[in-house]
Amino acid sequence: MSARFPRRTAAMCALLVAATGLTACNGLTPGGGTKSAAPSGPVSTALPTGNATLTVVSSENAGTTKALAEAFHAKHPNITVDFQYTGPDDYDKSLNLKLSSDDAPDLALLNKLGTTVKGNLIRDLDPYTQAYGWDTKYPSSQLDQWRASDDGKQLGAGHLWAAPAGFSVVGVYYNKEIAAKLGIGVPKTRAEFEAALAKAKAAGELPVQLGNLQGHSSFVVQSIVDSVDGAAKTSDWVNGKQGSTVDTRGGADAATTLSDWAKKGYLPEGANGTDLPGSVAAFTKGSGLFLFDGSWDAQVIDKAAPGKVGFLPFPGADAASKATGIGTSVAYAIPAKSKNPDLAAAFLDFMNTPEAAQIQFSTGFLPVAHADQVKAPEGNVMNEVTAAWGKVNTDNGLVNFFANTDATMNDTLTSQGQQLIGGKTTPDAYLAALQADWLKGHQ
Amino acid sequence: MSTTTPSHRRDATTRRAADPTGDAPRGHRTQAQSGRSARTLRAGPGRPRSRRIAYLYLAPALALYTAFVVLPWLHTMWLSFFEWDGVTVGTWAGLANYREVLTDPALRSSIVHALGFIGFYSLLPIALGLLLAAVIGGRGGRRYPVSRTVLFLPQIIPLVAVGVTWKWMYSTDGIVNQVLRAVGLGSITRAWLGDFTWAYVAVGLVGTWVMLGLCLIVFQAGIQKIDSSLYEAARLDGAGPVQEFFAVTLPGLRAEIGVALTITVISALASFDVVYVTTGGGPGDSTTVPGVLIYRLAFTNGEVGAACALAVVLSALIALIVLAISRITREKT
Repeated sequence: MSARFPRRTAAMCALLVAATGLTACNGLTPGGGTKSAAPSGPVSTALPTGNATLTVVSSENAGTTKALAEAFHAKHPNITVDFQYTGPDDYDKSLNLKLSSDDAPDLALLNKLGTTVKGNLIRDLDPYTQAYGWDTKYPSSQLDQWRASDDGKQLGAGHLWAAPAGFSVVGVYYNKEIAAKLGIGVPKTRAEFEAALAKAKAAGELPVQLGNLQGHSSFVVQSIVDSVDGAAKTSDWVNGKQGSTVDTRGGADAATTLSDWAKKGYLPEGANGTDLPGSVAAFTKGSGLFLFDGSWDAQVIDKAAPGKVGFLPFPGADAASKATGIGTSVAYAIPAKSKNPDLAAAFLDFMNTPEAAQIQFSTGFLPVAHADQVKAPEGNVMNEVTAAWGKVNTDNGLVNFFANTDATMNDTLTSQGQQLIGGKTTPDAYLAALQADWLKGHQ
Repeated sequence: MSTTTPSHRRDATTRRAADPTGDAPRGHRTQAQSGRSARTLRAGPGRPRSRRIAYLYLAPALALYTAFVVLPWLHTMWLSFFEWDGVTVGTWAGLANYREVLTDPALRSSIVHALGFIGFYSLLPIALGLLLAAVIGGRGGRRYPVSRTVLFLPQIIPLVAVGVTWKWMYSTDGIVNQVLRAVGLGSITRAWLGDFTWAYVAVGLVGTWVMLGLCLIVFQAGIQKIDSSLYEAARLDGAGPVQEFFAVTLPGLRAEIGVALTITVISALASFDVVYVTTGGGPGDSTTVPGVLIYRLAFTNGEVGAACALAVVLSALIALIVLAISRITREKT
């Protein structure tokens, strides 16, 4: 810019700034224009009689929601479901904008509550829970995962903000061929599990397959914490209950165990450079006796190694210990700005029918209800996953993912887990870093 | 908001740099031209009409620039003074975000990583580019068009695709390790992106690979405008190809080296895409760069104010370094 016109240029810029950008929002405070009041008023369980469209936004790509939408349309031909898919990474980043826009969807998948509750972006589902009797139809542990206080910080109790549409559970897959070859039975206790690892290592097999590029060593850590400390205590920590800590007997056990496994060569050399799909592929090719992974990979694993893989909940101290499992649901919330909240609630209610259960199950999720009525083909690992799921539910052992406890925990688990496996940090420092992140997220 | 993410800025730079591929004496001529046109304008202060017309011509570009660069940038600065999660009402934070950003050890190490990337994104490609330009793009017309195209190819591939490809190539059973095994170096194979020592180098070399083609094209174009009589004189004096390179080619390319340095240094400091896709900053924090931290703060942590503060600090740092580069190269010419 030439030196002769600075004043005029500056004035022009100032004018443009004033005219276009900053005054566009109410006042200059960011977020000031988006504040909306929580919706209230009577709710109805009646469906519209005329033509109606239900808009659903989702990051679920297993086909479950789409299939459920089609089944719902078949049942109510006057209702069209407009299903809009966005990839998981982009989805979470753009969700708040979608929810606060004037043409907000009628249902939105939530991967986590995040700031949606605090920002008044989604409806409190309590009126619908009463109208449809969801609290009697669902096990309380399933709904509790989507309960939260009004500021969204304390999870596990309070209003219901989303309804589940299918669950996933993390446990331990094991290679039946390697186990049979080495004479290893299905471990029923933690001691038997450790003995199996030692036996595999001695025989030249990789004891535990793991991909930790995106931090999935947290599955190992949490499985141990859940099992040692119990589901209730660990859930308190994940839910952000004041005064909780991860620096417990279970926490110390888990961090030390992971570190030991790395030192003993129980984990693959390149774990920190391998992602989860990479580790699943290696496992199905016969590398690794065990793999800590979720039910979402059951079909992939069964296809790649049919009949060769089993599944169990991570074993506890003795055979009588209660089963635990890491898991959460695909859940849908009704945006505060939805124009068809009653219709959206009717669709949510459809989730707990036997018909929906079979759809959820055959697309890779564990059903929210009627788990005893769904079936996978004989020999499919999904049957063992379902059995484990049933046991975890009977023992009330489901714990939400550590990564979901606050916004930054996933990054911390990834970075710290990589350092622990790489020998760059100690188990104590690992737990301290997790707890520091937790305090920051829940203070 | 999106304009504050480094990836966006980088794309713009690449586009700007990549399009005048054949336009040789870019550095010199544009400087001379802008000098001349400024003088012409100043020569006619008594004609406000021509000035108004000049503004008319400038208006469309200026309006777009203001709307999509200046305003978002000012907005970013404004947001950096707030504590804001992106949804609920923000609260005025004064300089607290800047204090947080400047005292955070994670941030300091990320800046060190970004500065280190200058070696991989700038120095290495410029050195290799000069060598290649002298060999395949020397006097006597444009030889080796195929190799030139192949080397330039990384520039036109979206960086996310570059990252995905390299992530696969660096994996335990990827091509890099396959090649190493084939030549008998199986003992050093590893999951490169998961190795605390080598992940940084592995990511840096992706940057070298991306930037090399750009440097080569700029230098090759520069060679074309070097007066051929200089080469003849050098040859008559009995200079070999090496002496010829140091005595004629290198001094003749000063302006182009300045351009290449500026563009690649910006890419290094604002690097985001490749790091985010390949390692996400890991293992541990060994490859974090400010770009990744800005993204995490804004989109994962819900600390938009802190993200904006970091973005402002990063922009200031880049501006300072680029200013220094242009000072240095200007003194030389």
